[in-house]
Amino acid sequence: MSVDVEVVGSAPTGGGTPRGRGTWSLSWHGLRTVTVLELRQRVRSTRWKTALIVWFVVVGLITLLTTGAFQMLSSDTGLTGGDASYGGTVYSIVVGFVLFLGLLVAPTLSSGAINGDRNAGTLATLQVTLLSPAEIVLGKLAAAWIAALAFLVASIPFLAWALIGGGVHWFALLTTVLMLALVLGVVCAIGLGFSAMVSKTSGSAVLTYLTIGAITVALPILFGLLVPVTSTTEEVEVWDVEAGYNWEETTAPECEWQTHEMSVWHSERTWWLLAPNPFVVVADAQPLQGDVDVLANEGNMLAMLQYGVRYARTGDTGPQDWCSEFVSDESGRGAQPDSPVEPVEVTDQLVWPWGLGFDLLLGAAGILVAVNRLRIPTTELPQGTRVA
Amino acid sequence: MTPDGGIRAQGVRRSFGPVHAVADVDLVAAPGRVTALIGPNGSGKTTLLLMLAGLLAPDAGSIRIAGADPVAENYVARSRTGWMPDVFGTWDSLTAREVLTTVAAAYRLDAAAGRDRASELLALVHLSELADQPAHVLSRGQKQRLGLARALVHDPDVLLLDEPASGLDPRSRVDLRVLLRQLAAEGKTILVSSHVLTELDEMADDAVFISRGRTVDTRSVADGDRPRAWRLTGLDPVALAAWLDENGPAYRKETDGPGVLVDLTGDAAAAELLRSAVEGGVAVSSLAPAGGVLEQAYLALEEERR
Repeated sequence: MSVDVEVVGSAPTGGGTPRGRGTWSLSWHGLRTVTVLELRQRVRSTRWKTALIVWFVVVGLITLLTTGAFQMLSSDTGLTGGDASYGGTVYSIVVGFVLFLGLLVAPTLSSGAINGDRNAGTLATLQVTLLSPAEIVLGKLAAAWIAALAFLVASIPFLAWALIGGGVHWFALLTTVLMLALVLGVVCAIGLGFSAMVSKTSGSAVLTYLTIGAITVALPILFGLLVPVTSTTEEVEVWDVEAGYNWEETTAPECEWQTHEMSVWHSERTWWLLAPNPFVVVADAQPLQGDVDVLANEGNMLAMLQYGVRYARTGDTGPQDWCSEFVSDESGRGAQPDSPVEPVEVTDQLVWPWGLGFDLLLGAAGILVAVNRLRIPTTELPQGTRVA
Repeated sequence: MTPDGGIRAQGVRRSFGPVHAVADVDLVAAPGRVTALIGPNGSGKTTLLLMLAGLLAPDAGSIRIAGADPVAENYVARSRTGWMPDVFGTWDSLTAREVLTTVAAAYRLDAAAGRDRASELLALVHLSELADQPAHVLSRGQKQRLGLARALVHDPDVLLLDEPASGLDPRSRVDLRVLLRQLAAEGKTILVSSHVLTELDEMADDAVFISRGRTVDTRSVADGDRPRAWRLTGLDPVALAAWLDENGPAYRKETDGPGVLVDLTGDAAAAELLRSAVEGGVAVSSLAPAGGVLEQAYLALEEERR
């Protein structure tokens, strides 16, 4: 997350006295002071160590169980293909689980950072020092993020283990971990914003979870609900079985172009509702595997999710082919010319930059709110808060 | 007194919604002096100190802290102010030394200077032995002393202390008094709010009384021009009363003791009264100021309010 460093110049008043540092002034020294303070407190509470151990064990168990289950499945049913057939599945389950747990844990790391300090009476004593509000907020963000990254680091061995299962490109691990890290940072920033706005730590935690719920669950539901609105009745070119073809006939049908009135879903108009979803961001950032058949075979749910959102972004695919498969399925009906309809190619336009961009904006808004709330001298106090 | 130094607040007002926490406060605290801020609970002392510390913006009025306006030049004002709140938390998992080095870093001292300053201050507030204990094992009074050390880290010109003596044992109170006198002697401006008036008597030079958010009186503690009550007791209360009826000034009987209270202006008047009483053959067993100056002034103001 980049932050513009702004240094306020000399004040016009005060008899030539420099005004000093403004709200947004940043220094490495100040940031480090706050981050070290926060991390020190966090590391010394035993709760934190326990949480990390529990996390490690839980993610480890999930990896072990899924690996074991798919190994048994593949050997029982004889679904050949060896490791490659379940590697992608295990990988996507572990990534999904780590992200899910991360979304649960990250808000707790930051959503009490400001109002908790305020309630404990330690915020004002920090505000009166020469730290700028931006240093306090970003220092706290850095500490929360580092803590969240510790959880991520604890999961990397299992991600790598799933990768060894095969079927996933090593580059995917890189993009996945990077996106997970960014998404967790965004969640920390949102939590920080709410913790500056609300006086109770439980309140800010709830609001943070609601925001994450909105982008993870509510927006995709909205996407689904908008299907009737985004569907229009259009005339579509269809490569169809010849008109008046009698299915009792032994000769293969001829294919011909026909025009059908039908409902076409223009998901290209609403795909962006899916983009901010953290799972979509993580899934879409990996290299695109365009072949649906391979995807379905590998059972890599992340790749399928990516394919899904790319498909949604592609939207109306134009002419359809309703004929060729009948012809080719039935053997001995004579050769037919190849389908003139191009197989559906999902767009290679990226979805994740939009989603991540939106998420980063949310996080930046959280930081902005927090810094503004820590500005002193305060003119307005949020309901139910004390200065000190 | 330089026009720049000390604390000057004029017509300061601040309300929280319908509550006028500070309605109209004028306050001057001069460098080199300890000024007591006195007022009943809820009179706006803490709110006033928050504004002086640059945490809260006043609705109206002007404030100068060592020449800087905490609203327009917040950073400069902050760099010159040491603030010790009435209720404050400590970073419980940090040791006393770490608390001070952290605050030193927050005041932009480099690490080595911060360490030196921390050791120095720990010795000053007698916490050296507990320096490497986590702050949560400290008692209330020890935390209070740590809070004072924290306010002193950057060697501020102006010290704002909100109830610094609460929770302190007698020894620490004496230490606090000596320390504050010493800091004042170095030319610092010290504003202390407290309820323990007898204690302020001994350390304060000036006093500002506020009530319901307004400055109601400003006076010097050493001011001899104002009458104050003295307690006079004799071996024979009846004889004493008879003598006073005849020769002495106006007096009133003490409600909770055998003595009588006399309003006298200055020590010379007391000496004079004692001499004439002895000459008049009254067996005087004691003559002493009844309560502290500030306590009397405070109670007198309370009286007026009713």
